[in-house]
Amino acid sequence: MLRYEGIRYISDKQMVVLDIGSAYTKFGYAGEATPRGIIRTEVKCPESKEIRRIFNYIDIDDLYQLLVEFLHLLFFRHVAISPKDVRIVVLESLLTPTQFRETLAKVLFRHFEVGSLMLLPTHLATISTLGTDTVLVLDVGYQEATLIPVYEGVPILKAWQALPLAACAVHECIKKDLTDSIPNLRIPEKTVEDIKVRTCFVTTLERSAKLGTDDAPSPPPAVKYPGLKTIEIPGYVRERAFEVLWERDNDNLSISTMILDAIVKCPVDTRRQLAENILLIGGTTMAKGFASRLKSELNTLLKSDLYSDKLKIQTFKFHKAPSKPNYTAWLGGAIFGIADLPARCLTKENYLKSNRVPDWVCLLDNQKDDTSNCGI
Amino acid sequence: MAYLFQPDYVRYVCSCGSLKPISKMYFCRHCLKIRCGYCVCHEADSHYCPNCMENLPSAEVRLKKNKCSNCFDCPCCFQTLCTRAGQAPLRPPASSADAKQDVKATPKKVYYLSCSLCRWTSRDAGIPDQYVATGGWPEQENPNSTRISTLIDFHKVLASKEKQEQQRKKFPTKRTFLQYEKFGLTSAMVRKRAGKPLEPKSLIQHSDQPAPAVANEEVDDLPAGIFTEAVDITKITTLEQRLQHPDVQAEKINELRPQHKQFLVKRSQRCRGCEHNVSKPEYSPQSIKFKIQLAAFYHVPEIRIVTCEPLRVGVASELLLKICNPTQHQTQISLLPLDTPTTPTTVTASGEEQELKRENIQMGSESPNLLPLAVRQISVTEDPKPITVVSGAEIALPECPLFLPPRDDAAEYDETNDASHFQDDKKVVVWRKGNKIVVRLHVTPFANEQNKGEPVIVGFVLRHGYVNTLATLEHKAPQKSELNVQLFLTLGNLVGTA
Repeated sequence: MLRYEGIRYISDKQMVVLDIGSAYTKFGYAGEATPRGIIRTEVKCPESKEIRRIFNYIDIDDLYQLLVEFLHLLFFRHVAISPKDVRIVVLESLLTPTQFRETLAKVLFRHFEVGSLMLLPTHLATISTLGTDTVLVLDVGYQEATLIPVYEGVPILKAWQALPLAACAVHECIKKDLTDSIPNLRIPEKTVEDIKVRTCFVTTLERSAKLGTDDAPSPPPAVKYPGLKTIEIPGYVRERAFEVLWERDNDNLSISTMILDAIVKCPVDTRRQLAENILLIGGTTMAKGFASRLKSELNTLLKSDLYSDKLKIQTFKFHKAPSKPNYTAWLGGAIFGIADLPARCLTKENYLKSNRVPDWVCLLDNQKDDTSNCGI
Repeated sequence: MAYLFQPDYVRYVCSCGSLKPISKMYFCRHCLKIRCGYCVCHEADSHYCPNCMENLPSAEVRLKKNKCSNCFDCPCCFQTLCTRAGQAPLRPPASSADAKQDVKATPKKVYYLSCSLCRWTSRDAGIPDQYVATGGWPEQENPNSTRISTLIDFHKVLASKEKQEQQRKKFPTKRTFLQYEKFGLTSAMVRKRAGKPLEPKSLIQHSDQPAPAVANEEVDDLPAGIFTEAVDITKITTLEQRLQHPDVQAEKINELRPQHKQFLVKRSQRCRGCEHNVSKPEYSPQSIKFKIQLAAFYHVPEIRIVTCEPLRVGVASELLLKICNPTQHQTQISLLPLDTPTTPTTVTASGEEQELKRENIQMGSESPNLLPLAVRQISVTEDPKPITVVSGAEIALPECPLFLPPRDDAAEYDETNDASHFQDDKKVVVWRKGNKIVVRLHVTPFANEQNKGEPVIVGFVLRHGYVNTLATLEHKAPQKSELNVQLFLTLGNLVGTA
C-alpha cells in the first residue's frame, strides 16, 4: 500500500490541507492518512511579544496581522513548503464569520500568493471519510458545538444547530470547581486543559442524576497533579467536568437536544436514516465515555414528554471514522482534496479579478444556473 | 542603533509601511526600495535535518514525508534522541554444558535510543534493541491506511466523472436533467432534486465504490474501574505528547514511540516588485554564508542615537546622532521634515531633476523589468500598512547638506587621517571621522495629552545619494539618484514640564 502512496506523491502536485480550528490547527497534505501535525492556533504577536490566539482578534486589521504571522510559521516551520502558487484546501464551518473567511482568503492570496484555494465546509467534507452520503455530523470542538445533517450528500441547512457547549465551557467548569476546592489557586488554561485530558471523564447518566443530592455516589479517587506546587484534584471535579455539556440551559438546550432538535427539523422521511448515521467529530468528543453518555441521554430524552410525540425513532447508531475524532474533519478534506477539481477552486486570477470569495449566503453565488458557481 | 535583543530605538519605514530596525531590512538594488521580511516573498530553498545536517532534494523530502530517517525525537520531551550501545543481556544458560559454549561467544553489541534530557529509553517502551546503529527501528503504521486509500481512489474516480460532465457541458446539449452534483450544497440543488427521480442508477453505482461505513449501536463504554481505581498521573500522556503522533494518540506513557525528526528549511527572499532575490543562502546546511545578501545596512546610511538630553515639554533638548555611510561612494545627506514625499529622484544627463520611476532605473539587460508587461506575471500587491506612530516632538533639522566620504576599512586604523577637507558647519557637525559624522539637533517635545507616559518619538526623512552600480557592468556611467527614507527615533520618556 505504502509503495503506491509514494508514487502518487511524485506524480501529483502537492495540495496543502489546513483545518484551522479555534484551539488547534491540523495541517498536512491531501492524500495522506494522517495530518503532518497538530499545533495550537496561536502565535507570538510581533508587537507585544505575547502569545495570542488567532480567534481572539480585535478587528480585521489585527486578524490580518495575526494570520500573516501564524501562516508564515505554519508554512515555513511546520509544513515546510513555499506557499507561492501552491494549492490549498481549507476546512471551515458553514457558520464561519464572513469577516474571518474573507480575511483568510486575502492573506492567502495577497500576502502568500497561493495558487488556488478550495474552501470546504467541515461537516460536508467529513462524510468523505465514511463512504456514505447520509450522515448527521456533530462537531464538538473548542469554542462551540455545531451540527449539520447531511442527507444524500446535501447539507440540510435548515436543521443546523450550534451551542457554545464545548471545551471552553468545560475548562471554565473545571477551573471554577478547582478554585472552589483550593482557594488562591491560579492556573493557566493550558494546565486546565491538561488536567481535563489526563484525569477527567464523562460520567454515566445514572450517576450524574445523583450528583449533588444526598445519596451521591462515592466520587472517584482524587489525583495528585504534579507541578510547581502539587495540587490534588478531587474526584468530584474529575467526574463533574463535562456535566455542563448535558445540563440543559434556560432554553432547555444541551448537546443531546441539539441532535434531537435537528432531527425534528428534518423532513420526516430522512429522520430515521439520520438517527442511524451519527458521526461525532472534534476533540471534545474524545473524552472518555462521551459517546455512551450521549447515547443514554438521547434514549432518555426520546421517552420524555418533550420528544415522545414528535419523534418516533427507535435507535441511534454511531459511525466510527477511520481516524481519531480530532482530525476527522481534516481527513475528510485530505480525501476530498485529492480529487483535482479546478472548477471547485478559487484561483488566484479569479480572486484578483473579482476580489471576493464565493459564499453560500450570497445570492450572487446561488443563481439558478450553477455553471458559474465555483464555490463550496 | 540596531541592537540584537533590545528595543528598537531607531526605526526605518519600509516601503510596505512596517517599522523595523535597519538590521532587519533589505534593500533591493533593482527597484531601489527598502524591503523587509513582511513584504518580500519567502521561498523554501532546501530541506535539511537539524540534527545530522543531511540535506535532500525536494522530491526525496516529499517521499520521506519531510522527516529524517535516521534522527528521532523523544516522544516525552521532544528533544533529540541519541543512539546508545549496550551489551545484549546474556540468556541464563539452560545447562552447564551450554554454559561452557556461551563463555566463548563474545557478547553481541546492541543499540537502543535514549533521551539525555528526560531519561526516556526505547527499552522503557518495550521496543526491541537493534543490532545495527542506524535505522531498522520498527515503524508504526496507521491501522486505517488501507481503508483511507480505498476512499481516496474512489474520490479520484468521482472527480474524473465530474470532469467529464463538465467537458460535456461545454457543448450545448438538450438539458434533460441537471448536472449530477454529488457534493453540491446550494439549497437550489435540494429543490431541484425534490420530487424528481434521481439520475439513472448506472451513474451512481460505481463498480469500485467502497463499502460504506456501517454505523453501530454499540459505543465505547467507560472503563469499568474508572470510579474506583486510583490514577497514576505520571503514567498518562499529556495532550502535547499525544498530538505529536496524531494517528495513534497513545494514552499511556509506555505506548509512546520515538518520532522521526522533522526537516527544517533554508529560505531565500525575493523582492515582490521585481522578482530579484534580496537574500539567498548557500545551499549547504552547514554553511551560514549567503550567495546574495542585499541587507539594508550595506546600502542605506545608518543612524544611531549618541546622546539625548532629558526631555521636557517646551524646552529644546540637544540630540546627537551618528550617521554612517556604508557604501563605496561619497554621499550627500540631508535631513528633511517628515511630510517630505519619499519618491526617489534622479538627475538626468541634461542636468534636470526628475522622478525616478521603473522605466528610468538603469538595469542590467537580463532584468525582467525590461520585458514587456504582458510576459511578466501579474504582480500581486498588498496594500501598504498605515503608519500608526505619532510624532511627539518638534525637531530642528539642519538646512545644509552633509557630506559623507565612502567607507574605507583601512581608514579605521589610520590615526593621522584627521584633517578633513570638508567645510562643515561646526554648529551642526560635532565630530567627523572616516565615513562617520555626529550631528547635533534640537528636539522640543510638545505637550500631548493622549500619549502620556509613552516615550517621545520624533520622525524625519533621511535623503541620501545612492549610486546605482548595476549598470557599470555594461560600461555605462553609474546612475546617481536621491533616495528618501522615513525614520522614527524613540528618545525616551519626558522628565517633567518646564
